[in-house]
Amino acid sequence: MNLKESCLIPLAVALCALVTACGKKNDVIKIGHAVALTGDSSMWGQSEKNALDMEIAKLNAKGGVLGKQIQLISYDTRADATEGVNVTKRLVSDGVCAIIGPAQSGVSIAATAVTEPAGIPFLATTATNPKVTIDDKTGKPRHTAFRTCFIDPFQGTVAAQFAAKNLKLKTAAIIYDVGSDYASWLGKYFSEEFTKQGCKVMASEAFRSGELDFRAILGKIKPQSPDLLFIPGQQKEAALIMKQARDLGIKAVCMGGDGWGSPDLVTLGGSAVEGSYFVNLACLDDPEIQDFIKDYRAKYNNDPVMPNPVMAIDALDVIVDAITKTGGTDPAKLCAQIEQTKGLQTLTGVFTVDPATHNPLNKPAVIQQVKDGKFIYVTKFVTQ
Amino acid sequence: MFVQTLLTGLAIGGIYALMAVGYSLVFSILNFSNFAYGSIIMLGSYIAYFAMVRLGAPMWAALILSILGAALLCFLNERLAYSSLRRRRASSLFFMISAMGTAIFLENLVYALIGAHFYSFPEVFARTNISYHGVAIGVLDVFAIVFSSVTIYALHTFLQKSRTGIAIRAASYDIQVCSLNGVNNNALIGLVFALAGALAGVSGTFLGMKYLVYPTMGWITNKAYIAAVIGGLGSLPGAVVGGILLGVLETFVSAYVSSVVRDVFSFSLLVLLLLVMPTGLFGRYLEEKV
Amino acid sequence: MLQYVFGVISLGLIYVIATTGLAVFTGFTGLFSLGHAAFFAIGAYTAAILTYFYGWNFYLALLAGTAAGGLVGFAIGYPTLKAKLRTDYFAIATLGFGEAVRVLLENLPITQGARGLPGIQGDTNLPVLLVASAIVIWAAWNLIHSRHGRAAIAIREDFVAAEMMGVDIFMGRLRSLTFSAACAGLAGGLFAHYFCFIQPSMFTAYMSTQMTAAVVAGGMGSISGPVIATLIFIGIPEALRVANIWRLVAYGLLLVLIMVFRPQGLMGYRELSLDLVRGWFRRPGKGGKP
Repeated sequence: MNLKESCLIPLAVALCALVTACGKKNDVIKIGHAVALTGDSSMWGQSEKNALDMEIAKLNAKGGVLGKQIQLISYDTRADATEGVNVTKRLVSDGVCAIIGPAQSGVSIAATAVTEPAGIPFLATTATNPKVTIDDKTGKPRHTAFRTCFIDPFQGTVAAQFAAKNLKLKTAAIIYDVGSDYASWLGKYFSEEFTKQGCKVMASEAFRSGELDFRAILGKIKPQSPDLLFIPGQQKEAALIMKQARDLGIKAVCMGGDGWGSPDLVTLGGSAVEGSYFVNLACLDDPEIQDFIKDYRAKYNNDPVMPNPVMAIDALDVIVDAITKTGGTDPAKLCAQIEQTKGLQTLTGVFTVDPATHNPLNKPAVIQQVKDGKFIYVTKFVTQ
Repeated sequence: MFVQTLLTGLAIGGIYALMAVGYSLVFSILNFSNFAYGSIIMLGSYIAYFAMVRLGAPMWAALILSILGAALLCFLNERLAYSSLRRRRASSLFFMISAMGTAIFLENLVYALIGAHFYSFPEVFARTNISYHGVAIGVLDVFAIVFSSVTIYALHTFLQKSRTGIAIRAASYDIQVCSLNGVNNNALIGLVFALAGALAGVSGTFLGMKYLVYPTMGWITNKAYIAAVIGGLGSLPGAVVGGILLGVLETFVSAYVSSVVRDVFSFSLLVLLLLVMPTGLFGRYLEEKV
Repeated sequence: MLQYVFGVISLGLIYVIATTGLAVFTGFTGLFSLGHAAFFAIGAYTAAILTYFYGWNFYLALLAGTAAGGLVGFAIGYPTLKAKLRTDYFAIATLGFGEAVRVLLENLPITQGARGLPGIQGDTNLPVLLVASAIVIWAAWNLIHSRHGRAAIAIREDFVAAEMMGVDIFMGRLRSLTFSAACAGLAGGLFAHYFCFIQPSMFTAYMSTQMTAAVVAGGMGSISGPVIATLIFIGIPEALRVANIWRLVAYGLLLVLIMVFRPQGLMGYRELSLDLVRGWFRRPGKGGKP
């Protein structure tokens, strides 16, 4: 067959896909999972999926929820906003009653364009941008958007207070990624609180996403000798910045946010990251989740990549609770019920939703430190 | 801060120079920009990384493996993607599309097979730095500058003194007359690509050691194109000067203005030079082949 | 389910609009662009800002986005084409331009930087897209079949001869660039109102690559070819849910293979027409036109 006739093949394939995709309705409870299974964030995404698969299997073995089995439908968002929208559309057309994820703020905000008209509630796992749950224009929470993690203003405050009060550091320089919403704003929140504590932010330098050479910026900062280098970005840039800072002879303490929480930080940064601190959502050493960690290790032969898996389980707990309380899977009722969640015992602690912002109330942050190439738990922090 | 910025600029300039020389080699013979050069550099880096980590090879062995591997890959790239176009005397647009296609293919193949994971070379040189009067430079950077200079000097000697070198220089002036004089053009072009590949291997390894190893690191060769224009298209010493100059200028812009506009500055410099002074510092004017 | 299929078709049509413009630029005029995603972004942001902050009418905002794309295309094209940059340096210049636009979008207060613009009204739907793509394809067709189009083809094939025949190369190229930039701007505006959220990181080199691959695969010299290729490129991976990484590997490989084995792409210099389809069903040896 020649090239022209081979054009017909894709049409035929598309037709077949159409037909087979019109599946039958089963008597299960479908929960959607928008997760990054490939790409830069895949480490956390895969761990989320593993954890959810494990917990759902346990629930189903005990009889499921309301007598029905739970089916988890996971699609790959690649941590990309455009793909996230596609994934959400697919999940909606698959008939899910609620969605766990996404994990990234940008993807979550994009997904609200689909979930709001469809009325399907979603619980973002680690999306910390305030705008995920609050609609900018009206200032009110979106009725389908929820999350199980703290928000960036809180994180920035925690970091600043820890640095000022516990570490007693007086001056800081911030190096942030101008192309990352998360990093730019976390830096701002840190800066506000640090100044409120009576300390001084000497410099705030921006770099572009994907930047590798920070020596020019560090060369600028070095003569000002700050006590602290706050690097509110992802672990890759943080590792490079710390390496290059040590190369240049900068001795400041380094600190970051939850974007650091990956074993990569140590493999990429080597000896340069020793002794630095960062804020995180959850921690392997947390005494409350040891049972879960034991089960995970037994099943998958690996440690769960924190904090996503426990955040996802929290989300699952909230959804299951809402389904049980409303006695069904009507998404509109679920949205209303989730909003009313109070004092629910989830994996990481007690979960209460603030109806004014759809954010969890009083979720403590964990401070970790890199010692001997491992992350150790320093303290649990609640803001004062 | 001035001296520190200068030193930082020289360190990165050295790597730009190395990439620019490799790129100029191919450009001077075939009069086309090999957009796939970046991916060869990236592959050279991966080869060195895996040699050190999986095979446990010492640094010098990894470097040699990287040089050989990259040379072979660059040679194959030419044979598979460009030679048939050359024989057909295809227009430069086709060469560019083929080069772009190769770059995308290789980049994403690595992405798909090895993963997007970023790798860091094991610490070969001590984390200490050489410090003098508050100005510091890493040990790796010093080594890279020295090694690059030696490599470029070796290339220069080869081109000046050996028979093949003379043939290459002749081909850069007029490749058709060259073949009339009995040079096997096909073999020569293959050799030039292999040489460029060897340089790619060295720059890739140092780039990987200085920063990280990851699939899209090839895009840094955009700087090589700019460096080549600054120094003058078709001139190898120009490429070296252009690379160092670009590195220093960029770093000063980063330090004194803002790191965010650094790339915009470099590309604007490129366009400005092409408009105002297309021959660059040392180059000959090369017309667009019809 | 049907909703999902319509969604995929809608996305395909958005890209068809942008690719048709690029087909005129790369396919018919023979210039390579690595930064067309920048025009797409400009159209998207212009239209989105007008409807989001100033409450403009959707269709007027789209027109504004189209005009913005075209104007910027003209502004960029004027100096770079006037300088008669060779094809590869022109491509690098467009890359630099793409970078500059990204930096601008990340830093201007009105674009809200990396946060992007969420909550744009979703006015783009299938009927709008069908009408828009029909208009664009009709416009491209008319452009190609006018003297401007013939001039463009002449410039692609042999610009020295074209110049001698009195074709104004500069204006011809500028015209194609402006048209393609305007198409990309329109597509961008539609895109913004379809996804209801835009941020600078959505407009990447990947987008430019996909468009170029579609033009090359579809056939440089045809309008319907790139249209079909775009629909295939968007449709198949959705139907098969193929991992995105392999999609890019395939694009790269496709570009090289097409250049080496079948440079005329899918449709070559022909268009999809009734004659052509009849030709597929004609049996050899029996009556009908030869």
